[in-house]
Amino acid sequence: MRNTGLAGLAAGLTLVAGFTLTAEARIKLVALPDRAATVIRLDNPQVTLIEEERVLTLQKGLNQVDFSWNGVEIDADSIRLSFRSHPGGVNLLNVSYPPDEAALVWEISSAEAWEEQVRISYLLRNIDRVIEYRALANKEETCLDLANYVILRNFSGEDFAQARVLLDYGDALEQGINHEETKRVLFCRQTAVPIEKVWKFDAAIHPWDPDRLTANVGIPVSYRVVNTASNGLGRFALWGGKIRVFQDDGHGGTIVLGEDTTALVPIGEKLEIYIGDSRDIVVMQRKMRDKQINVRRNSGNTVVLYDTDEIIAAQVENFKDKPARLTMIQHIPGQWDMEKCNLEYERKDAGTLEFRLDLPPRGKQELVMHYHRRNVRGKP
Amino acid sequence: MKPTGATIFAVGVCITAAAFAKVDLVTLPKRDMVQLTIYNSADMTLVRESRKLTLQKGANKLQFSWANTLIDPTSLEILPKAQADKVEISDLTYPPRVGNLGMWNIKSEVSGEIPVEISYLTSGFSWRAFYMGTLSPDEKTMRLEGYVRVTNNSGEDYENAQTRLIVGQVHILDEIAELARRQYPYGRPIGVPPIAPVVMKGLYAKRALMDVAQTVESAPAMAEPKEIKKEGLSEYFLYTIEGTETIRNGWSKRLPSFEVEGIPVVNLYKYEEERYGNAVVRFLSFKNDQEHKLGETPIPGGMLYVYRLLDADQHLAFEGQSNFKYIPVGEDIELDLGPVANVIVKPTLMDFKSDHFLFDAGGDVIGWDEIQTFKIEVKNRRSLPVKVEIRRNFCTPHWDIETSGDGAFEKVDLDTVKFTVDLPPFSKKEVRYVLTTHHGRRAD
Repeated sequence: MRNTGLAGLAAGLTLVAGFTLTAEARIKLVALPDRAATVIRLDNPQVTLIEEERVLTLQKGLNQVDFSWNGVEIDADSIRLSFRSHPGGVNLLNVSYPPDEAALVWEISSAEAWEEQVRISYLLRNIDRVIEYRALANKEETCLDLANYVILRNFSGEDFAQARVLLDYGDALEQGINHEETKRVLFCRQTAVPIEKVWKFDAAIHPWDPDRLTANVGIPVSYRVVNTASNGLGRFALWGGKIRVFQDDGHGGTIVLGEDTTALVPIGEKLEIYIGDSRDIVVMQRKMRDKQINVRRNSGNTVVLYDTDEIIAAQVENFKDKPARLTMIQHIPGQWDMEKCNLEYERKDAGTLEFRLDLPPRGKQELVMHYHRRNVRGKP
Repeated sequence: MKPTGATIFAVGVCITAAAFAKVDLVTLPKRDMVQLTIYNSADMTLVRESRKLTLQKGANKLQFSWANTLIDPTSLEILPKAQADKVEISDLTYPPRVGNLGMWNIKSEVSGEIPVEISYLTSGFSWRAFYMGTLSPDEKTMRLEGYVRVTNNSGEDYENAQTRLIVGQVHILDEIAELARRQYPYGRPIGVPPIAPVVMKGLYAKRALMDVAQTVESAPAMAEPKEIKKEGLSEYFLYTIEGTETIRNGWSKRLPSFEVEGIPVVNLYKYEEERYGNAVVRFLSFKNDQEHKLGETPIPGGMLYVYRLLDADQHLAFEGQSNFKYIPVGEDIELDLGPVANVIVKPTLMDFKSDHFLFDAGGDVIGWDEIQTFKIEVKNRRSLPVKVEIRRNFCTPHWDIETSGDGAFEKVDLDTVKFTVDLPPFSKKEVRYVLTTHHGRRAD
């Protein structure tokens, strides 16, 4: 424990001792010993809970214990004291906060003179954890090894020589961490997690005519991992964090495939890791027809209602020497019906259509959608 | 790797011995191998190096420092390459109030020499591709030479490094240079991590010149250019340069990537007012496939300088230059060589009339057609045959067309058509069409 952090605790006790003796001769002083067991609980991403256990030597009657935290950001209202050895024989009577000090005084009534194990818990700021993943995909891109690291960051002003660090799952980490120290610890590792590689084109996001652009249009590529027991995962939710993906290069080395961040992935849910953009799948989409039909006009000859007759054609070319499954998202706003479509699709919502195109190596696929938007209002 | 102005892998025995008296401090020996994998779509290089550590049985500490480099400290990783089940990397600690330093805590069940691989990402390396094309006098074929140029501004000299280049668009969240400059590797729990300036030391020029002189003296009499091996990995292509390279900080190196003779090319001229104004733009067209003596790997984007062979004396004319994008295997390449004056496209509106008027009950016009007759003169003033592609945009989906004269007609999309005309040397042709556009109620 450093002198600047909760090390102030011992100094605080000593100071209060003189004051208390003068003011209240009957009150016994208790020396606050060093911490016995400390738990750093990081299961809440916003705040960190510290639990520390100490053994107090209490006198029969009233005791005062001073707790101070100079230079350490503790939420004073969050401090709790609980009695472990004689819960029925020891009472916390009140808590006093001295002026202009990061400190408090517990007034404790004890039925006997004995040693009492207490647990002090409080919310400590500026100490937290970051989650980071490293994934190593095999050369064939069918599975990956997933390593989960926890990075402890302690800028709280307090040194922890040894503590049990708890996340919301897995075994506790026995770690010490000093003020201004950062520590990366491997938390768990899972080998051979199956992955699905997916390419995704969204007509609302990606350009339709790559020939007109000076830069290549990249089709986002992701690895899809499902957090289930059958995939070697599924024991707990995967916490959100940065994920760096490497790939075995087949020569004993690796290359970096890309990196992404993930939100928390509950058990059974999908983790989609966007690694980069493919320039070997090219989508050229064009509108081949866009006409108003069934036009209805008001007495002033203004169009008030019409349907449309639209054809969209998309040519998809796979320049890779391996097959690829492209997820293609198309959007048709408002009320519509499909007159003819050469490929099957899944209607994801009222205006979103998802196609799955299986592209052979160095092969092509064409999507042609002939649809009508219905009851489009004319501009007044 | 030289621990020069930018000191990497220094071992602070004194500090560490004082702070961790109970454990053994392992010094980092010289590396046996270093490999650089350099990306061009991001300022990122993966460095892998092999070293042999002498570990004691029990707890060991390995200190790693990287002052004045551009290493991302969050990317540091160490892997035992032998007896991995007996060597456990417990954690990596970035100690307080010491910058650019990491400490691995290693538990070993064995004592002795253990080979390890240390890897990390660094900023400061870059590479780019560029090309030189030489057209035959008849412009039917082209010799294409590809080069790569690798530049080291990482703050560190890398000697005898196996050098690999990645072609592809990698997705990264943070700039490696920004991560390298962070005061704390993972930032602080709150607030924006402050960025500390990196002072790069410039003591390289003199020494580098001496090295060049040494290299010349020791070079064999007839050395062959190094080959670059290319292979596909995921969405990337990996170029591995034969042997090893020494690229000093601040220096660049140009290496030949490939050379292909006699690629059949097409001189394609394009005219499209909305894209190129009234100019005819020359394109050189070929395909990245076996028919064109290419097609083994994609071609990374870069600048192509196009020359033409003039005579038997190998004199050259500069034809133009074009910056092209990445070309997958099997994809067409169109190199934009800029506007030309010796191929002429001149569209002329020969006739205009309106017809088929519709009226409402009040007598106002509510629909009509416009009929435009165009003549497009296409002239080739070159001594070589050319192909000309003319696009016309009608800005409305409500049209009909009747074509006549020369040229093949094709509908491109709902308001665009294309005429393709082949012209022998010093010839002219004429495209004619009558365009009817429908307006108002006539468009219904």
